Amino acid sequence: MYDSFLIRSDSLSNFEEDGKVAGFRFGVRIANYRGCFLSLHNGYYCEVDGVSYPRSAQRLQVNGKPPRTFEDLMQHAVLEHWDMQDEAFLYVYKEGGLTPGTHRIGILESILGAYGRRPDDEEIVKNPPDPSIGGGGKTFNVVYYDLELQG
Amino acid sequence: MGIKRGVSLYSYQQEEWFGRMTWRDELREVATNLGGATGIEIISEATIPHFPFPGDEFYQEWNFEMARWGLEAVCMDVFPDPLIFRRDHVMTDRELAERLRMEIRIAHRMGFKNIRAQADINVVEMALPLAEELDVRINQEIHYPATIRRTDGPMGGRIMDVVEYIEKTGTKHYGLQPDFGIFKKEPSRIYINYYFRAAGEDNWEEKSKEVLERYRAAKTEAEEEELKKWALDTYPKVFSNRYAVGELSHTTTPAEDLKLIAPYIYCVHGKFLEMTEIPGKPGQYEEVALDYENGIRVLKEIGYEGYIDSEYEGQRSQQDRGLEHMANEIEEVRRHHEMMKRLIGE
Repeated sequence: MYDSFLIRSDSLSNFEEDGKVAGFRFGVRIANYRGCFLSLHNGYYCEVDGVSYPRSAQRLQVNGKPPRTFEDLMQHAVLEHWDMQDEAFLYVYKEGGLTPGTHRIGILESILGAYGRRPDDEEIVKNPPDPSIGGGGKTFNVVYYDLELQG
Repeated sequence: MGIKRGVSLYSYQQEEWFGRMTWRDELREVATNLGGATGIEIISEATIPHFPFPGDEFYQEWNFEMARWGLEAVCMDVFPDPLIFRRDHVMTDRELAERLRMEIRIAHRMGFKNIRAQADINVVEMALPLAEELDVRINQEIHYPATIRRTDGPMGGRIMDVVEYIEKTGTKHYGLQPDFGIFKKEPSRIYINYYFRAAGEDNWEEKSKEVLERYRAAKTEAEEEELKKWALDTYPKVFSNRYAVGELSHTTTPAEDLKLIAPYIYCVHGKFLEMTEIPGKPGQYEEVALDYENGIRVLKEIGYEGYIDSEYEGQRSQQDRGLEHMANEIEEVRRHHEMMKRLIGE
């Protein structure tokens, strides 16, 4: 769902921490029709110019709170909802950030929502799957966007 | 009396996602532009802001707006999401029942008389005392690829078990909610077109048309298997997607099967993917993929007097191109009500 609109086209920028450029961020929307409890959010497959950035390098800024790790969301955001009408920001740590110009970003969201219990639930609890499996969301492929870095 | 018409606000999800309509606008649209529709259905976590804690002000605003337009809160759809505690465990049955109780309390505050659930009987059983106390009924959805009689497969195998439980206990707070998607005539071209585009195929309209023609020609189980094999051999990228190949299934529910569950139908989902003008009948519309004619005929025969709530779903498979190619949800729902009104015989 919303394959062409999951990243806001004018939202890519670098961010700083302690006076240094620590990575880049962009605005994301949820790829479903109901939102989700944030503990279900398993992170993103995220690829920029052919390099993929693991979940451990990602933070999600949502609901007016500072960026949080997906581990933090899983542990503590059990009854905190990401509403389907709201934008969030995905922060990706990369020393020095991105260079000026256009970058090709591919993402696939992995949200572990479900209509009922499934055979692999216990396994998911023991070993959270890599976000590249996607799942739960309603967009099944990695979708790509060419975005220009904003100043 | 007779069958009443309503709308699930799910139908307007795209308008909401893009910030062009809010639930208030949607209530006004239903009340003023659908020729007498009076019912509202929602998905709790899609419509309620900051679900499940929207604050008292939201509940009062909701009840004022419903009163303003003279609308009836028919049904609230809920999801279990058994992995919200995945930091240490999969939800237990007791927790799943508590999730249902949470939703029942919310439904009650918003005036809904029904919730649509997908839950096992033992979980529903634990939530039933609260359902009875607050007079909110729990309805098991019958959603494709389940059928009324099917005893295997996803979300299947329990419809007739639910009937047995209701008859054994005599409860008035557990029921069934068929979704019109079960009355499949053929795959919607909306889906097939999308799967071709998602796989990066060119000439997807023509290829999709050929798949539909072959589907119509395949009548027996053996022919269905042959069709699936042909599809996978010819377009491996498209039909290696299990949802795409699932569309080629001939699984369907004959409308007459509604008679098996007649006393326990309290709500009906009017699922549809696309309303097209009937050739030679300007201003009249049909959903060619689903058997609305017989579905509504049988609902009338069994004396069903509840709601059919429009549940438009075609927009989801048309969001992979530009804004100019996206569906018009408002128009689709208006067309759906033209059809329902005519088939109901209002």
